[in-house]
Amino acid sequence: MHEISKETESQESVKENTKKDLLDIIKGMKIELSTVNVQTTKPSSTRQLKSVEATINRLQKAPGDAPKKRTKSLSPELVAAASAIADFLPFDKQTTKSELLRQLQQHEEVSKAQKNGGRAKISVSNIISDMKVAKSATIRASTRPVHQIQFDEGSDDYMSQKTSDVKKSLRKNMLKGKRLNIFDLKAVTEETSETETTPSLWDIEFAKQLAAVNEQPLQNGFAEMIQWTKDGKLWEFPINNEAGFDDEGSEFHEHIFLDIHLKDFPKQGPIRHFMELVTCGLSKNPYLSVKQKIEHIEWFRNYFNEKQDILKENGIEFN
Amino acid sequence: MCPLFSGSWGTRFYSGSATLPKVEGTNITGIEEVVIPRKKTWDKVAVLQALASTVSRDPTAAPYAFQDDPYLIPASSMESRLFLLAKKSGENAAKFIINLHPKYFQKDIAEPHIPCLMPEYFEPQIEDISEAALKERIKLKKVKASVDMFDQLLQAGTTVSLETSNSLLDLLCYYGDREPSTDNHFQQSEKSEELEEDTGENDKKSKADDQFGVTWRAKNNAERIFALIPEKNSYSYCTMIRGMVKHRALVQALNLYAELLNNRLQADVYTFNALIEATALNMNEKSEDKWNNILELLKQMAAQKVKPNLQTFNNILKCLRRFHAFGRLPGLQTFREMKAIGIEPSLATYHHVIQLFYHHENPSKGSSRIIYDIMNEITGQKFTPKDPDDDMFFQSAMRVCSFLRDLELAYQVHGLLNTGDNWKFIGPDHRRNFYYSKFFSLLCLMEQIDVTLKWYKDLVPSVFFPRSQTLIDLLQALDVANRLEVIPQIWKDSKEYGHTFRSDLKEEILMLMARDQHPPELQVAFADCAADIKSTYESQDARKTAPDWPANSLNCIAVLFLRAGRTQEAWKMLGLFRKHNKIPGNKLLNEFMDSAKASNSPAQAIEVVKLAGAFSLPICEALTQRVMADFAISQEQKEALGNLTSPTSDSDSDSDSDISEGI
Repeated sequence: MHEISKETESQESVKENTKKDLLDIIKGMKIELSTVNVQTTKPSSTRQLKSVEATINRLQKAPGDAPKKRTKSLSPELVAAASAIADFLPFDKQTTKSELLRQLQQHEEVSKAQKNGGRAKISVSNIISDMKVAKSATIRASTRPVHQIQFDEGSDDYMSQKTSDVKKSLRKNMLKGKRLNIFDLKAVTEETSETETTPSLWDIEFAKQLAAVNEQPLQNGFAEMIQWTKDGKLWEFPINNEAGFDDEGSEFHEHIFLDIHLKDFPKQGPIRHFMELVTCGLSKNPYLSVKQKIEHIEWFRNYFNEKQDILKENGIEFN
Repeated sequence: MCPLFSGSWGTRFYSGSATLPKVEGTNITGIEEVVIPRKKTWDKVAVLQALASTVSRDPTAAPYAFQDDPYLIPASSMESRLFLLAKKSGENAAKFIINLHPKYFQKDIAEPHIPCLMPEYFEPQIEDISEAALKERIKLKKVKASVDMFDQLLQAGTTVSLETSNSLLDLLCYYGDREPSTDNHFQQSEKSEELEEDTGENDKKSKADDQFGVTWRAKNNAERIFALIPEKNSYSYCTMIRGMVKHRALVQALNLYAELLNNRLQADVYTFNALIEATALNMNEKSEDKWNNILELLKQMAAQKVKPNLQTFNNILKCLRRFHAFGRLPGLQTFREMKAIGIEPSLATYHHVIQLFYHHENPSKGSSRIIYDIMNEITGQKFTPKDPDDDMFFQSAMRVCSFLRDLELAYQVHGLLNTGDNWKFIGPDHRRNFYYSKFFSLLCLMEQIDVTLKWYKDLVPSVFFPRSQTLIDLLQALDVANRLEVIPQIWKDSKEYGHTFRSDLKEEILMLMARDQHPPELQVAFADCAADIKSTYESQDARKTAPDWPANSLNCIAVLFLRAGRTQEAWKMLGLFRKHNKIPGNKLLNEFMDSAKASNSPAQAIEVVKLAGAFSLPICEALTQRVMADFAISQEQKEALGNLTSPTSDSDSDSDSDISEGI
């Protein structure tokens, strides 16, 4: 009793969910139609077509099967339970038993079908199978050009395997197969001596087009700052005080220790004293380059050389 | 001086002071080997990139590029395009002014110097007739000036070096003996790649291009100068061939190639790529012949030991698309060849393969499964731009997912888009909109409503602005999932995205709200929404001279008012029916009758019958019966009713006159 009420309830819930089922079926329909059509393009391979037709027949016959066939697929415990209930109930034993077994059989087939990747419920699959058969009848009559069969060869392989293996086999099919066999791997990969040429106008414009492929509007402020850095408008992080300033490669000691340049001057006397003051001042000057400082000292040397006679008058030695 | 501090100032490095012995002179045998670590150099944008990687997209904010004045934040794709164009044109205008008057912009206080902010000089500086002047003009891309300078040099008797002649030929061939266009930014985005989108128009447009797109003038300067060069090398021939193919002078290109072979010179890989394109575009041959010619070219390439590159194979695949179904097997063979010799396919390769197999969307034929192959191959891969067509892949992949109605595949494609930097390959605005519209429509169709609504919140409007069709798809998904209470929110969003005046969208919304009875709070919300839609119709009326309210909308709005208890407004709607000459539905009239009964007003009931009579509706009789049965009406009213509904010829003329009164 309990089970019959459950079954009637489930039947009602099935009706409630018909809308959802219909949608599922519609979603499933598209793929099912296409699978059949791909098969029928090659008339010679009727093997797959026959298997499809066999399943259609099986589905159509399912409600009308003899009880013997049905009970074979069900487990003996279920059969025993069904017959026990039939005995227990006051209705006609044979009919209740056959009804219960039929319901169980339907559930069994539905779960089997869904396990195998099928999408239709038994009650509505009849509609679909009708549609399948009609379609195949019309398509078989159409002829295809010869070269089309080559392509369909590949796709036929797909359909003959189960859906779980389909993706693996597909991968092999795209990569495996005949290639043009024009180029040789060794010949292509050997390093030819390539002369260094400046990029031509074609290369520059192609590079510009390539750069434009990836152009997208900036996503955040940091991306904008990156763009400015690449343009040269923004300091580079982390900030380096001396960015862009090379000082002509001179080191700090060349700025400070300027005594070396005084070796042509007298070692003692007012000139030396004066020049030491000059070098002291120059060493503290951050604005002149080393070259300019040396030139400064040079100027003094020339000046004193010119004014030798005045120096001699005053008794100062300079050589 | 510590040796660790030598080196240029621009790099930072890490000193491994932990490896130095701390105390000198203690245990000499125990001193470890000093391992100076390798200097680490950082890219100049490394810090900023690290910071940028911490920021992710905010779905509630406008995209960063639009954050300026809040009033200007765009609310539709048209507005966003205008915004970006305005921004760019402002920059261009500023640059134009600076370059026009360079003497006013000489002050340079930036330290270090910023070259890109200084005025640029576009006029040639060298004035005498020399090869250096010619080179300068070529560099500045002045086509006519270069040609003139070349002619002057030849007249003066000076020989021009082969290199300079070749670079002059480059300039002429690339621009087809025309001056290069100055405003490239706006035009390039609208140009030829539009062909790829609408599959139906693809063939026609590209054919038109071939016939009318021959932009290579006969006997132009390129050919003339080519003839003048005394000792042409293979580069001269190559650049001429490339120029001819670019400007669609295909037969001449092939002839020149024959001449090149006759002179026993060798073409480079770029020339072969151009020749392949020329062979495929040739209109006069059948597909099989064209394919054989292409194979012939490839064999010559192999024989001359010219290495093919990615462009070679992409060009072949692009050309095979023109051969439609015939091109599929050769396409697969080409792809396998490419993999066999170690050339890594780019996104453009996969795009061409997809277009080859899925171009003609004919659901009755079997669909190829090759998209699954492709996605298995490239899932998880990070791409860099290698071909200008790389940004077409995602659009075509999503189109195929939508066509196959496969949501899992769509998720896979979207996952690939979000891998690494692949999001940059989504392409310009219209392509991004297409991709997301298709993706979202597929979600509406196939995904559970909660997940769909989450995607809606995430994508709209920060990633794309939905078209009205996309919103209609969303409404239908809500209908299927029985979540009609979200509809008023969708209407509010629609107004924000510029769909206030889209009648198909408004009709869909009203129809969904009015179809069934709902609990009272929801009914009130629906009535508010309907009132809002009514006001949009009214403001539309104010602007147009011929007002246009669809009958459906009138019906639905009236029903919604009635059900929410806004009876006064509902009765006003009846007047609108007459004004716009639209026929009220039977269901509506019955509901009005119910409402009249509920408020126990015979006058209103008679109003309803009069309206029905004015339009000569068949239901008029049934309504009259009802009025007579349910209401207490006076004798005159009964007679008036009788006049309205009696089926004699007199009443026909009466009802005619009624109609003429009503109109």
